[in-house]
Amino acid sequence: MNNISEYKKIRRTGILPGCLAGGILAALVPVLELAVRWERYADISRPPLQIILEADWQMMAMLNMLLVTTIACMMYHTEYADNAIRRIITLPVREEEVFFKKTLLLSVMCMSVLIIEALSLTFCTLRWFGGENGAYVKFYADSFKAPYMEFVKDLFQNFGYFFCMLLPAAAVSLLFASACRNMWICLGIDVVCIFMATMIPMKNFVLSIFPFALPFRILEGGKAVASLSSLAAAAVEILLVFAAEIIFLKVRRSLA
Amino acid sequence: MSFPILLGAEWKKLRRSKIVLILWAAALILWIPSILNAHLNFGMEAEGISPEHNFLIQGFMGMAWFMFPASMVVCTTLIAQTERSGRGILRMLALPVGAGKLCLAKYIVLLILAAVQLALMTGMYYVSASVASQTQGYDFLLPPLFVLGQAGAIFISAVPMTAFFWMLSVCIHTPLFSVGIGLASIVPSVLMINTKIWFVYPMDYPFYVITAKYGELAANLTERNMDLVPWIPIAAGFTGICLAAAVICFGRRERK
Repeated sequence: MNNISEYKKIRRTGILPGCLAGGILAALVPVLELAVRWERYADISRPPLQIILEADWQMMAMLNMLLVTTIACMMYHTEYADNAIRRIITLPVREEEVFFKKTLLLSVMCMSVLIIEALSLTFCTLRWFGGENGAYVKFYADSFKAPYMEFVKDLFQNFGYFFCMLLPAAAVSLLFASACRNMWICLGIDVVCIFMATMIPMKNFVLSIFPFALPFRILEGGKAVASLSSLAAAAVEILLVFAAEIIFLKVRRSLA
Repeated sequence: MSFPILLGAEWKKLRRSKIVLILWAAALILWIPSILNAHLNFGMEAEGISPEHNFLIQGFMGMAWFMFPASMVVCTTLIAQTERSGRGILRMLALPVGAGKLCLAKYIVLLILAAVQLALMTGMYYVSASVASQTQGYDFLLPPLFVLGQAGAIFISAVPMTAFFWMLSVCIHTPLFSVGIGLASIVPSVLMINTKIWFVYPMDYPFYVITAKYGELAANLTERNMDLVPWIPIAAGFTGICLAAAVICFGRRERK
């Protein structure tokens, strides 16, 4: 089976333009925030990325989550809507493979959403914190390497972390979507889970690694090392989701 | 067919949809943190609000800001999808019933689901408030008339918002966009309630109404302006436009 078949399936479903639109919408949040109340952040002496992320990431993460869960529901909805899933079962393809390919495709879409947001943060940093005495100059100018190198390193660290935090939520919502024939059930479960995540206290580590709560985290102190535990938790969660999907498909096949 | 019979028929279609389970899960999850953190209600004396009022309003605010609008989006998906699969909508349009009447009957069903959601929330409030009263040794229960009044205020203020979601699901045939725009439109409401022009954004009405009640009950917080004059005409106009658009679009694509 050809590797890009999953991509071909979503070509005419509006998922790709939806993904771009969602990314741009989330990317507009810091731009609008800084354009309206820039004075509030002018005198804070912290790395510019930290300032912007602490102010806006909650809202951006919320938009990302809503986008990713909706796309996940759509990806399986197109299979279930006209019983295409039955044809897949008769094809010489393992159903698990379909799930893995969908996960891969969804993670590529997560990455493109995050790239759009990273570009927007770069713009915001240079536009509002890049001037004389701006936070950008204060924090990066006297480093040994060129200032932009340090900034790009920070940017990569932060968004790499966000990507890793978004993946478990994407995988879990695909798992729900693959299990539910009707779109509103998986959408409802996802929405309830996001709601639950917004109420979880971040201080409690065991609760805060709930897959839907991870995307709301930002790097503590801007360093990836401090957040190794959450990265490990994310990796374990993804493996668990894959295992759960394989078991679920086996059970469903034996009961069918 | 008379309107009540039509309404009954629409309601029957949702019998096996399991939607009430999802609505109930949301109401349950809403109150669990409130029970666990019930002792925090006693620390709110600084704002001049009594613990039992704080318990109620904090819970209702959690519902009105995200979960209630999001479950309305899920319900619109439910109503639209149950008929689109199996082409049930074609059979409905073939009946000697006006399409507009059909569309409005479905909208009323959506409002009934909103009322069910709020009723479940109120019911769970009484359960959780009695549990919290037991654990804290303090009477958290408020008179039913007051609680129902608040739930009713949320319901009435949510009418324009549900009309908007209903219009999205009728006019936009790609589920990704109708769901995505609906969910994304919830997120800015947390910003909009803090502006002077909160009344131009119908998605924040339920949240605004309950936040205003909080300001009224807490002696030390500034009261929010609840002028009916620009608000009610805008809300009524918005609802009218959304419903008119929904009636015009309804079944148009299927009849081609």
